[in-house]
Amino acid sequence: MLKPYDVILDTLPTISSRPEVLFRQAGDGFLQVEYGREQRAFLFDSFRMMTVNNMLVAQNIQGLIETVPGLRTNLFHFDPEILPVEKLIGLIKDVEESVTDLSDIELDSRLISLPIAFEDSETRKAVEKYVKEVRPDAPNVINGYNLEYMALCNGVSVEEIKQMILGTEWYNSGGGFWPGGGFYWPMDPRCAIVVPKYNPPRTWTPEGAVGIGGPCIFTYTTPTGGGYQLFGRTIPIFQFSQKHPLFKNSPFLYRPADRIKFHEVSEEEILYIFKHVHEDTDYEYQIEPGIISVERWLNFYHSEDVQEGMKELKIKQAEGSQKAPRL
Amino acid sequence: MFIIKNPGIETLVEDWPGRLGYLGKGMSTAGGMDNLALRFANLLVGNPLGEACLEVAGGYLEGEFGVDTVISITGTDISPSINGQPVPMWKSCRVQKGDILKLSHFGEYGFRAYIGFAGGIDVPLYLGSKSTCLFGSYGGFDGRKLKQGDVLALGGAPQNLTSLEGRGLKDGVMPVYEREWHLRAIPGPNASPEYITEKGMDYLFSQPLRIQHSSNRSAYRLEEIKSGFFAREDGGVGGSHPSNIVDHAYAMPGALNICGNTPVLLTADGPTLGGYMCALSVIKADMWKIGQGTPSRDYIRFVSCTREEALQARLEQKKILTEDSLS
Repeated sequence: MLKPYDVILDTLPTISSRPEVLFRQAGDGFLQVEYGREQRAFLFDSFRMMTVNNMLVAQNIQGLIETVPGLRTNLFHFDPEILPVEKLIGLIKDVEESVTDLSDIELDSRLISLPIAFEDSETRKAVEKYVKEVRPDAPNVINGYNLEYMALCNGVSVEEIKQMILGTEWYNSGGGFWPGGGFYWPMDPRCAIVVPKYNPPRTWTPEGAVGIGGPCIFTYTTPTGGGYQLFGRTIPIFQFSQKHPLFKNSPFLYRPADRIKFHEVSEEEILYIFKHVHEDTDYEYQIEPGIISVERWLNFYHSEDVQEGMKELKIKQAEGSQKAPRL
Repeated sequence: MFIIKNPGIETLVEDWPGRLGYLGKGMSTAGGMDNLALRFANLLVGNPLGEACLEVAGGYLEGEFGVDTVISITGTDISPSINGQPVPMWKSCRVQKGDILKLSHFGEYGFRAYIGFAGGIDVPLYLGSKSTCLFGSYGGFDGRKLKQGDVLALGGAPQNLTSLEGRGLKDGVMPVYEREWHLRAIPGPNASPEYITEKGMDYLFSQPLRIQHSSNRSAYRLEEIKSGFFAREDGGVGGSHPSNIVDHAYAMPGALNICGNTPVLLTADGPTLGGYMCALSVIKADMWKIGQGTPSRDYIRFVSCTREEALQARLEQKKILTEDSLS
């Protein structure tokens, strides 16, 4: 018999390639599958979860409406009139139990190359508007922009911030929050910039703006408010009208587990591509198929260079966060 | 067609169950806030139950019919009239080209009214639904609420209008409206003692909570929780407030977010993912009630319920939404 607020319907024990799995009740049509009890931000959890997720989705389970991955949880949306929750838990457990070795965890992951113009005039306008209309004394705005504040928080120079943004692939732990968006985390932990979010948020951000809040990069899909620190602008990654061939079947570019890699270009080039996506509809996106091997990533993560670099960054960040004004 | 002479406070095109399967793309379902009144409106005019209706929040809509058709008005008693003559709620009635429909404000009970048109409303399907997502400005009629001068295209009405007029509901079928709405809810996913104290959960289930005036189609905000609610000091890597959590998908619609100290019931247009814990989920069969919850006036009381009871409630609701309920 469950206690009144005992919402964990079932569990799977920890094994070497997986933390404990918790099956949490989330209403009469949802089940949340959680990896581990600790609130941690570790890409490994997502790689494993997404591998299992893809295997389950490929089964075309009757009554399963969709899955919504987060970083360390996966939300299953289902129709209980067709698919009882006990049956769904059984199906998830079967797949979980089949993924025992680290070498079993290989994840399809496209690599999308995105041009970026740092400190372009549109995102500068958004920051300007914020200072003018929302928070005139905003401490995160230095010389009219957020890049210097980002550098300050992390105890590094603006140039080093740019090199960290350009120097790693960023991994999409899943979408949500805003149509077409994704939450991108650094594959190389030596590039793990962390910054506070705007307080209060902005009222306007241009399409294509790239920002960072906490540890995540977000590319803005449509003009909207927002709270991430802005550092540049990329090209469209969403199209409501679905005119461009890439968006013909769906207005979304990003899929969970995609990686993006930025390369620096001029603002003129960004504007040129905007026109060739939205008006001429002939821009060719650079997208390559690929795989994330969890074994290889863990070896990389635990290598001496990376661990040393992480430590150095954390020391700089500790110093930086002392100096940087709070928002 | 139906020509908008006065759009009133907030009039939207909404269907049911809305846009399913895009939570991971950052798109909640949207759809009718009171899905029960919406489906009865369709039943009365002989439409498929999920067809698009006009959702009138608050009131004061005025419009002119450009064709002969049959309509029905359900939901809050909004004192409808045609050419100045009162017409009954919850009953289908014949209208002619040139007739003027006028609605007053929401009644003693409830907040939203629904207008069903025989043959439905002819707006394009966007990602499988005619619903407007007001928060994201897409779907429905140009992604927005209706304005004066808008011309709404109606679907082709059936040949024999006479057979559709004068249809009402049998005694006991019409939903009962209250000032204190009892919403059956299932605890979870964060109801467990590592997040929320038993006392905290008991509080949520023990008394009426007033609906705050800032409530809208995205979120119904309730009065603040009391001290002793959280079982932890902070949210760890999820954030400094104990309500913070590493971003996870929300069981949408129907999840109760604890956002700082404010319980926020996430509804049709709400966010699909975020960094706040979820204490409980309102069951699908009771979500209609929130659509009638009047900001600043009404109260919500959560009533604990099991998954089995929730499933039973879905089946019972289906049973009353058939032609057998017509008088």
